[in-house]
Amino acid sequence: MKSVITLALPCDIRFTRLASQMAANTASLLASTCNADTGNWEFSHAFELAISEAFSNAVFYSTEKTASQKVTITFTLEQHRLMATIRDTNEPFSIETPEPSIENYPERGYGLMLIRTVMDTVSYIRENGENIITMSKQL
Amino acid sequence: MTITETSDGSITIVALCGTIDSSTAPELHKSPAIADTLRSVVIDLEKVDFLDSSGLGALVGTLRLKQEAKAAVLLSCMNPRVRKVFDITGTVKLFHIFDDTSAAVEYAATHNEG
Amino acid sequence: MKTLIAIKEQYHTWVHEAFPAMHPLLLPLCNKPFIEYLIDFAILAGSREVRLLSDGQLTEVEEHCGTGSRWGIELSYANLHPADDQQQLLDKNRKFCGGGRTMILTGYNFISYNKQKSYLDLATIATDTPIASCPGGTITLKGPPESGASEKSPLAPFSITPLDSVQSYFRISMETLQTGSSRYVLPGYGSEPDCSIGKNVIISKTAQIRKPVSIGDNVQILPKTIIGPSAIIGSNVVIDNGCSVSGSIIIDNTYIGENLEIDMRIAAGNTLIDPTSGVSLTMEDPHLLVGIKTWATTAILKRKTIHALAATILLVLQFIPFILLFPLLKLQGKWKDDPYMQETGLAGALAVAISLDRFPLLLKVITGKLDIIGSSSRSTCAGKHSYPDSGPLSRLAVFSYAEAEDWPVNGSDAAIVERFHAVHSTPIKDIGMTIKALINRLTKGR
Repeated sequence: MKSVITLALPCDIRFTRLASQMAANTASLLASTCNADTGNWEFSHAFELAISEAFSNAVFYSTEKTASQKVTITFTLEQHRLMATIRDTNEPFSIETPEPSIENYPERGYGLMLIRTVMDTVSYIRENGENIITMSKQL
Repeated sequence: MTITETSDGSITIVALCGTIDSSTAPELHKSPAIADTLRSVVIDLEKVDFLDSSGLGALVGTLRLKQEAKAAVLLSCMNPRVRKVFDITGTVKLFHIFDDTSAAVEYAATHNEG
Repeated sequence: MKTLIAIKEQYHTWVHEAFPAMHPLLLPLCNKPFIEYLIDFAILAGSREVRLLSDGQLTEVEEHCGTGSRWGIELSYANLHPADDQQQLLDKNRKFCGGGRTMILTGYNFISYNKQKSYLDLATIATDTPIASCPGGTITLKGPPESGASEKSPLAPFSITPLDSVQSYFRISMETLQTGSSRYVLPGYGSEPDCSIGKNVIISKTAQIRKPVSIGDNVQILPKTIIGPSAIIGSNVVIDNGCSVSGSIIIDNTYIGENLEIDMRIAAGNTLIDPTSGVSLTMEDPHLLVGIKTWATTAILKRKTIHALAATILLVLQFIPFILLFPLLKLQGKWKDDPYMQETGLAGALAVAISLDRFPLLLKVITGKLDIIGSSSRSTCAGKHSYPDSGPLSRLAVFSYAEAEDWPVNGSDAAIVERFHAVHSTPIKDIGMTIKALINRLTKGR
């Protein structure tokens, strides 16, 4: 049985927390319906963090900051697995970015490293003028 | 995010509370103690419920500016959720991290004199 | 008493070089991760709260050890700075230590102890000097000694040894295997003290097991193999027909190919390490020793990029001939979607000789769906548009290695040559092989 939740947010940095909290709550919901260990914060934190990063990225690289531009987040709840996709209509990009070198005290570039570490799978495709990042994690 | 500044001798304790992400991280630089690169600070993260790479970037930027000006940035009371972000990114190497704010203040004070 | 385990990265850089896939704190010694020995020791010394400190990543260790509930202790994680001394460690963890008795273990050292003895007296000893030390670190007791029933019984013996090289790793692993489960809590099942076997292990009827051995989880030991004496086989390992493994360590995720004799070696992936000299040798022949893991994604990306570039050059070169010959062949009804066209007539023969039949497939190389050279693409071209996720040993491609080597394109012979090249190819060699395939087809076409 699959449940799908879709959230369309304006491409605006103010909505970052809304997106990440939604992710955390969705993950907790899945964990509680599966009777998983409720003391385990890592599953919901992983989604909170990954969505926060992906949403911030989508807004940061948006070209036309118009109110009509949307970032769409879809959560697909499966048995013991949560999948999240983030779509935006920005320029295509590569998710194969080099890791920042710590010695230079970099202020940016940690986002993808975090997403990759906390998620089980991360993929990127460009389709119909949209960037689609799909990530998933097993409970 | 709310920022509370208190002074303990020559050291300023900056207590952060709430969420530090891309929407709130720029506020950090508005704090006088953070913006003044000559001042050593202890940043108390106990009440930070969520930090992402934007928040981390702001802290790393603060550390760089202050270190260049020979001032210190110490972190205290990180919860496991916040620590995880530092751990994954390898930025733990850059900071001195304490589990107790008063210990961090003492350390900063002796460090300054020495 | 509480315990701080502080391990700086500088002490275990050699692990990254010798076993790149392994987190140093989880490096298995006799199939038990390194860090668990230290946790066990802390528990024997009466600690119910243990904190791990590192200046590197602990996420993987955290995932493995969790909250410590499985040992009945509270395990927490924190960080240290590469320059920290012992006093700074205490300051930074003041809340954790709570002003009480704290044992500090520093360095990347193996502690040899005996689980049947009690180390509870450590909490009551009044000394500030290290109770054990070696070049790589110390065990120190800080804070006020706990008052306890001290009968002044002699402290149970223990010592620390630095784990500073492949040599010491090998030596300590072997010692642990010999002394076995009488001194340490070791994983696996076994009714005999020096033979332990993990979960999901398949041992062939014709295999011989010679003690002492330690075998991890998910291991296949195929017919006519001899395991031991003194063999440590990690988890997810396949030992193929007719191998013998003695005095050696096989690290997790390793495949030992047929009829290989491994004596006094450490095998990890496709690397064999001589534990006495520390010299490592990466095996070339895939049938001897093969890493089960697939290739790194960056290597695949590099190969795909170079292949796409080569395809682009070919496309440009073939463009004019294609424009000229394609309408002609199409009108004659000789052009088929099957790229392996029959070379009928002059135009057809010419088209095949200069490999125009592969022209449409080159586009798929640019989009990354095919490789320019790899396994025979015959099956791919049968009108199917599904490209299964091919492993490193079968990469669907426009040209095949068999064509380049002028081997028969069908049959198992071709499969061998393709398998060989699939394992040994580099992107640059691939370009050379592509040119060879083109020339072969040109000369055959005449």
